[in-house]
Amino acid sequence: MGKLLEVVDLEKRFEMHILNEKQIEALRQVSFEVDEGEIVGLTGKTGSGKSTLMKCLYRTYRANSGRILYHAEDARAIDLASASEHEVLRLRKTEITYCSQFLQVIPRVPAIDVVASALVARGARLDEARLLTRECFERLSLPKELWDAYPATFSGGEQQRVNIARAIISRPRFLLVDEPTASLDLKTKDGVIDMLIDLKNSSTSIVLITHDEHTLTRMADRSLHLENGRLKEVVYA
Amino acid sequence: MMEDNWLLRVRNLTKIFGEITPDVCERTGPKFSSNICPKTGAVVACSNISFDLYPGEVLGVVGESGSGKSTLVQMLYFDQPTTSGEAWFRSVEDGETNIFDLSNQRKRYMRNHLMGMVYQNPRDGLNFRFSSGGNIAEKLLMAGVFHVGNIRVRATNLLNHTEVPVKRMDESPARFSGGMQQRVQISKAIANNPPLLLLDEVTSGLDVSVQAKVLDLIRSLQEEMGISMIVVSHDLGVIRMLTDRTMVLKHGQIVEQGLTDQILQDPQHGYTQLLVSSLL
Repeated sequence: MGKLLEVVDLEKRFEMHILNEKQIEALRQVSFEVDEGEIVGLTGKTGSGKSTLMKCLYRTYRANSGRILYHAEDARAIDLASASEHEVLRLRKTEITYCSQFLQVIPRVPAIDVVASALVARGARLDEARLLTRECFERLSLPKELWDAYPATFSGGEQQRVNIARAIISRPRFLLVDEPTASLDLKTKDGVIDMLIDLKNSSTSIVLITHDEHTLTRMADRSLHLENGRLKEVVYA
Repeated sequence: MMEDNWLLRVRNLTKIFGEITPDVCERTGPKFSSNICPKTGAVVACSNISFDLYPGEVLGVVGESGSGKSTLVQMLYFDQPTTSGEAWFRSVEDGETNIFDLSNQRKRYMRNHLMGMVYQNPRDGLNFRFSSGGNIAEKLLMAGVFHVGNIRVRATNLLNHTEVPVKRMDESPARFSGGMQQRVQISKAIANNPPLLLLDEVTSGLDVSVQAKVLDLIRSLQEEMGISMIVVSHDLGVIRMLTDRTMVLKHGQIVEQGLTDQILQDPQHGYTQLLVSSLL
């Protein structure tokens, strides 16, 4: 299997100009690699920089220095830390998906269309997209009466599953997922894990943040431990 | 390469009200906390604005009142002459001629066929002496549609789409509510299926539920028709909901630009940090 991602000496600090130039060091000299079809877990205490790292990979945060080389489908190596915004937007549309810890959706869109639109944006027809979405909801055992309701009114676990469905429905090449199982019971949790492993088996690479031992041992091929913004050790599962 | 796939390319667009001196742009801007030249009193509304807009892309422009947001889109729509700067439009003379150098006839052609504009105040975009249907017809006539039956059908479809009661299409928009006027204005702006739509503070001054309807409409139009848009707003909520990329303007200059989620979650410039931290 080839390399998908090579992170080299990534550094991130937050400079707050409106708080007397206060600086917060978030990531220091972070280097690691992700192979194609590999699941890499990120662990560490709250505030250790896991989400910051993930957001840097997705370019929601701008890294201060270092490289994030991503080997795209067309075999080009693109540095996500310095690529043009249009390039990043194109990759987000076609290959890289980020699944945040909490569902963030445009208001007044029914759950089914929240998920289907992820496929439509990639060129699918709306009716086909809705069909696939229904199957996905079925597998995630999301109650049927919620499918055409607005997710803003859902419980935490229900929102979580809509969020997962939206992230995986398009079968991205690279998935960044933050706490996918945090508010789920054990059975539902295993359902989500099974779907993510399915995705990996069709050669999707996943970077996973979780505090949950069960999720980590079932999913991760390898895990990276962060402490105060530094990578401490590489643990093979 | 994709780096060249722009629909609209803008370089060093500048607008100065008052005396134009060579280094007026260097004496104004965020560094000086003012867009007024200390020597001549000239006002620099837009200072060297450059960006590329891609097909189907939605670009947000944020900034406080007086930052130059509206002036920027008004220049692009030829409502205001520019002081200096260039812009190219992909399908106009193969994207090789500065659109500000075009003849008035060609500029009119661009307005009528390639662009739509929605102003903050419906009175700027609609003629209140005409009916709503008449306003849409006006835009279609300009775009070369002369068959009255076809115009009527198109106007009906547009008003349906924007949820304006078709029964009232022969009434003047003056008798409509603010939200309805705005939706008529949007119908008019998109009547000619333009590849580029300019939206200037379209939801300001509307109440929340009406604002939501107008935003839903704009979003669905964008998804269905893949129109490129420039969305000018001081409201970061609107920017977050509609745009892929954002430029932050202050005192006529771009202080920061980036992916919209990056601007909102990891703003780099002090002014953007202030804007974002002021968000309720």
